Amino acid sequence: MSAGPYNYSYIFKYIIIGDMGVGKSCLLHQFTEKKFMADCPHTIGVEFGTRIIEVSGQKIKLQIWDTAGQERFRAVTRSYYRGAAGALMVYDITRRSTYNHLSSWLTDTRNLTNPSTVIFLIGNKCDLEGQRDVTYEEASKFAEENGLMFVEASAKTGDNVEEAFLETAKKIYQSIQDGRLDLNAAESGVQHKPSQPGRNNLTNDQQTNKDNCAC
Amino acid sequence: MSGILSETVEPSDLKKFEKIYHEQLYKNDVTPKAQFEYAWCLVRSKYSSDIQKGIILLEDLYKTHEEGQRDYLYYLAIGTARLKEYTKALNYVRSFLLIEPGNQQVISLQQTIKKKMEKEGLVGMAMAGGVVLAVGAIVGVGMAIASKVKS
Repeated sequence: MSAGPYNYSYIFKYIIIGDMGVGKSCLLHQFTEKKFMADCPHTIGVEFGTRIIEVSGQKIKLQIWDTAGQERFRAVTRSYYRGAAGALMVYDITRRSTYNHLSSWLTDTRNLTNPSTVIFLIGNKCDLEGQRDVTYEEASKFAEENGLMFVEASAKTGDNVEEAFLETAKKIYQSIQDGRLDLNAAESGVQHKPSQPGRNNLTNDQQTNKDNCAC
Repeated sequence: MSGILSETVEPSDLKKFEKIYHEQLYKNDVTPKAQFEYAWCLVRSKYSSDIQKGIILLEDLYKTHEEGQRDYLYYLAIGTARLKEYTKALNYVRSFLLIEPGNQQVISLQQTIKKKMEKEGLVGMAMAGGVVLAVGAIVGVGMAIASKVKS
């Protein structure tokens, strides 16, 4: 039981958003399973994934909501933005239209999350250099102008996937350390669990069980 | 903040989509979109009566609107699993995988449901065990009292 599920002190909620077919689910799969899903059908509604990571010696559980990109799901997937500590906003570097829609995704994110939510822009499919339709410089400038973190990644090769998820967590953790993120606010997207190894406390045990069946 | 079978809909969201659905129902012109959005919220409610209603709406869509069948099957599986009707839920999952074998999202839902069944099976047994112990204790006390009264 040493690797029990409450070997972490924080839970961060993430959302992954962006046009359909940009590779949101593949990024999630690469991050949680370290594998590339070659034949990835359109996501239905939302998908969920978790992984425990470590930032500055603290174990953090990421609870990631991967939203469907198809328009017909958009009305309901919007409700998953609420209380996200991190938002990964994805476009496809080989399809300009997915880049052009970023401002609409960004508006949604800003309207539906809180000011401390960390927004990370990911230009996916950077392995397809020959088909590039959006330059690195252009996207990088967009990110800078809008105060977003930015990286080009490939869910296929795994390049920069880990970095995007981890850098987002580092930034959130930094906000907690600086006191910019109020842990008591219901919509902070962060839960603090004082680490409690062993079975000292009944309430904590129950909490753990609940987490266990959740994923 | 938890998994696909335990997260719940915000009451305000449920209300919002309920209103749209009812407005259309009043005009006798319900679009599959409005019905699906309302059902999707209902099956994520914390009340089982809502979930049941969501399932009825999804079953209706499944029969009448071919285009979105994979969505309806998926949320029927989630709704029934949330009502702990696991056999039904797994049947929906199986029907889905017949059409789209290897769909990672649905396979992962299947695993989540199976894990939950296992877990609750054990919890159920533990609870039954507890009841036996408690009944035993009551009977024991009763017998002790009875023997005391006799003597």
